[in-house]
Amino acid sequence: MKLRLMMCFALVMIMAGISVWAEGQQELQKKETILKIGTPNEIKSANIFSDYYLGIFAHISNPPLMKMDEKGNLTGLTAEEFEVSEDNKIWTFIIRDNLFWSDGKKVTAEDVVFSVKYTGDHNPNARWIKDTLEKTEVLDGNRAVFHFNKPYTRLNLEFATYNIFPEHVWKNIQDPMKYLNAGLNIGFGPFIIEKIDLDAGTVIFSQNPFWAGEKPSLDGFEIHIYKNSDILSLALEKGDVDTYYKYASSYPYAGLQRLEKTGGFAFSETLNMGLVFLAFNLEKKPFSNPVFREAFSYIINYEELLKLDALGYGKKPNRGFVPPSMGGYMETQALKYDPEKALELFDKAGYTEDKRKDLTLSVLVRSDWNRVAELIQDYLSAVGIVSTVRSLDLNSWAAEKDNFNYDVTITRTTPWGMLMHAGWGTGYYDSRRSGRGVLHSVEDPEFLNLCDIVLGTTDKNRLSELGEEVQDYYARNLPGIPLYWNTIVIPYNKDFTGWKPDPLYGIYNLDTFVTLKKKNNN
Amino acid sequence: MPTVYRKILRYAAAFIAVVTLTFIIPRLMPGDPVINLLGEDSTLSREQVEEIREELGLNKPLILQYGRYWKNIITADFGYSYHYNRKVLELISGRVGWTLLLILPSVIIGGVFGSFLGSRWGWRSEKKLSKAGSAIFLIFYSTPPFFLAMILLYLFSFKLGWFPLKGYYDSGSFRDILLHIILPVSVLSLFSLARNSMIIRGSVIQEKGNLYVLYARAKGLRSRAILIRHVFWNASLPLITIIALDFGFMFSGALFVEMVFSMNGMGTLLYDAVKSLDYPVLQGAFLIISWMIICANAAADLLYSFIDPRLRVHR
Repeated sequence: MKLRLMMCFALVMIMAGISVWAEGQQELQKKETILKIGTPNEIKSANIFSDYYLGIFAHISNPPLMKMDEKGNLTGLTAEEFEVSEDNKIWTFIIRDNLFWSDGKKVTAEDVVFSVKYTGDHNPNARWIKDTLEKTEVLDGNRAVFHFNKPYTRLNLEFATYNIFPEHVWKNIQDPMKYLNAGLNIGFGPFIIEKIDLDAGTVIFSQNPFWAGEKPSLDGFEIHIYKNSDILSLALEKGDVDTYYKYASSYPYAGLQRLEKTGGFAFSETLNMGLVFLAFNLEKKPFSNPVFREAFSYIINYEELLKLDALGYGKKPNRGFVPPSMGGYMETQALKYDPEKALELFDKAGYTEDKRKDLTLSVLVRSDWNRVAELIQDYLSAVGIVSTVRSLDLNSWAAEKDNFNYDVTITRTTPWGMLMHAGWGTGYYDSRRSGRGVLHSVEDPEFLNLCDIVLGTTDKNRLSELGEEVQDYYARNLPGIPLYWNTIVIPYNKDFTGWKPDPLYGIYNLDTFVTLKKKNNN
Repeated sequence: MPTVYRKILRYAAAFIAVVTLTFIIPRLMPGDPVINLLGEDSTLSREQVEEIREELGLNKPLILQYGRYWKNIITADFGYSYHYNRKVLELISGRVGWTLLLILPSVIIGGVFGSFLGSRWGWRSEKKLSKAGSAIFLIFYSTPPFFLAMILLYLFSFKLGWFPLKGYYDSGSFRDILLHIILPVSVLSLFSLARNSMIIRGSVIQEKGNLYVLYARAKGLRSRAILIRHVFWNASLPLITIIALDFGFMFSGALFVEMVFSMNGMGTLLYDAVKSLDYPVLQGAFLIISWMIICANAAADLLYSFIDPRLRVHR
């Protein structure tokens, strides 16, 4: 009797499940043109001011003053243009006249001034604003003027990342870091955030009714957050999402062929402005010896690394570190695999075969690049050097590299990372800076002085020359070695056309969302 | 000292130890919580980093931080997470409900069906069905939950398209939530069912060789009555302990399921907190999970004495 009851219960559960499924299948399809973006970037709180990834996604609803175009040039976004004083201390941004908040109010220069000050006052990542901004003013109604206490040459670049907020909303929020708003967020971009539902793993964007620029073809777009990249790949293949976005990263190369076979995807390919690299502990032997570093650069088989770790999506790098996708790139000598020359240089550095046998190098690697570390270990072994590999998660890696507990470390730079500080990757090496992903390993006065000169230079031509000097410094001193310059490959639903990837944020930029069209909607 | 006071003392000691460990363990983890607040590609000067450390109170001596931690616990203030921009208690109460939505049905289904199947298969262990069932459940039990979750998701969500690939809901309706949790609950239930059935099966096999079973048969009791009235109760004692401990284990088991199905629950909260060295969240989450385990064990203690009269006599 009890067995029968149990069976009945199980049957009822199965029937209920089937009926739920059947009803779900009958749900009406939305007729709107919505682009669905799948991302593994985790949004932690419904706060467009403080959440790192939501802040990036909010670039469409609350666009920054500047943007990077497809070719990597900085141009105006919320600002129509900008002016800089000769001493580079006073920056004036002229705000576009046709921008309106989604509640109908006009976007003003006061909003811009407020946003910059507010960000500097409250966002730990933007402390430099609080420390250096002396005075702000609004002139002629549309000119936002910033007075700094020291020359700031790359403000237009910094201002390509900070969102603009409506003063009339945010001025009443005492502590924006603690503010949560999962509903409609007032914005002025072509799309505004309508809903942030972290339990559903979605951020919904809808059209801004007061957008006066080119009318977008999309009715809206959605961000779908996946905690697992494999499942996100399945979602793409199944058609649950139309494209993939992970800040500063490519779609996993190993999964591209599978998507290609479906026939439903096209691929956007851009050379990454960030890169995977290897850096040395310059404070202790043997890497304090520049000849040893030089020798080391010849033991690496760059072609093999590119083939095995990036499946050939990219280019072999040059000694100048900076990839060609970055503004101010200078052609330097290509890094070369030449074990014979390496041995010759090791001997010259005083590390003969016997001495090399006594060495045990510690290779510290972020767990994402284990395969690279294994290959480096093999290359070292081929020249008679023993090495131990420690593969750590980002936290543990950060602690170890901050304590300089390594001889060689393997990590990456992001596009923004390449631009921060004095640019051209200097933020990763300057010993005076701290940060989670940076190495602060170069104390050489020549390098530090070069960074300071870049930071204090206003002249564009001079800046370009200084960029070349930075690359020349890398090429001569090898504080780190780029392992490959990879391509960022983003698959997208073929039905959508008009993608405009930029080197800083890839496909996720305002131009893309304005120009994107769905084929059958034309 | 009466047993009841001894037990209260034991649980209080366990609680103090848990509170202390939840304070110490996150601080033994490598990494700097202040640096982790910054993005991967942010740089600050050392002075700016120290300013933030001071603001968060992380520059104070550990003993002072520990004292403040106790004070906060007594006032039910679990602190504030700068990664989530929320009070820890709000954050946990938002997450724990979702995880319980996965765990409770799994514990119930696993407990009820596991006991039923395990006792039947143990009672008739020589039957082919019993052997085959046990072998299948052994496979489920040996399969890591995340792998089982991936397989089910691939089959039923990706290939057949019956269920969604992620999240707790899309529209938020009852049907919608049910549709989203069927697969993760099935994974956890299968795991719990397989384990419970094997424990009960083993216990029943052991119990059925005892003399009281022979005596019951001699008395003329029917086989099913012997199983249900006598053997099952004796065999279920280890299961009670297992289910009590389940509350802790299920949170970690749920982590893998939550990761596969992209669900925001306690498991993923803990995982992210470990990744970002979010001390307040780690402390709060560990504390609440430990508290639940302590309570579940106390309940198991009570249940034991209710089911097993020998324990009542020994008091």
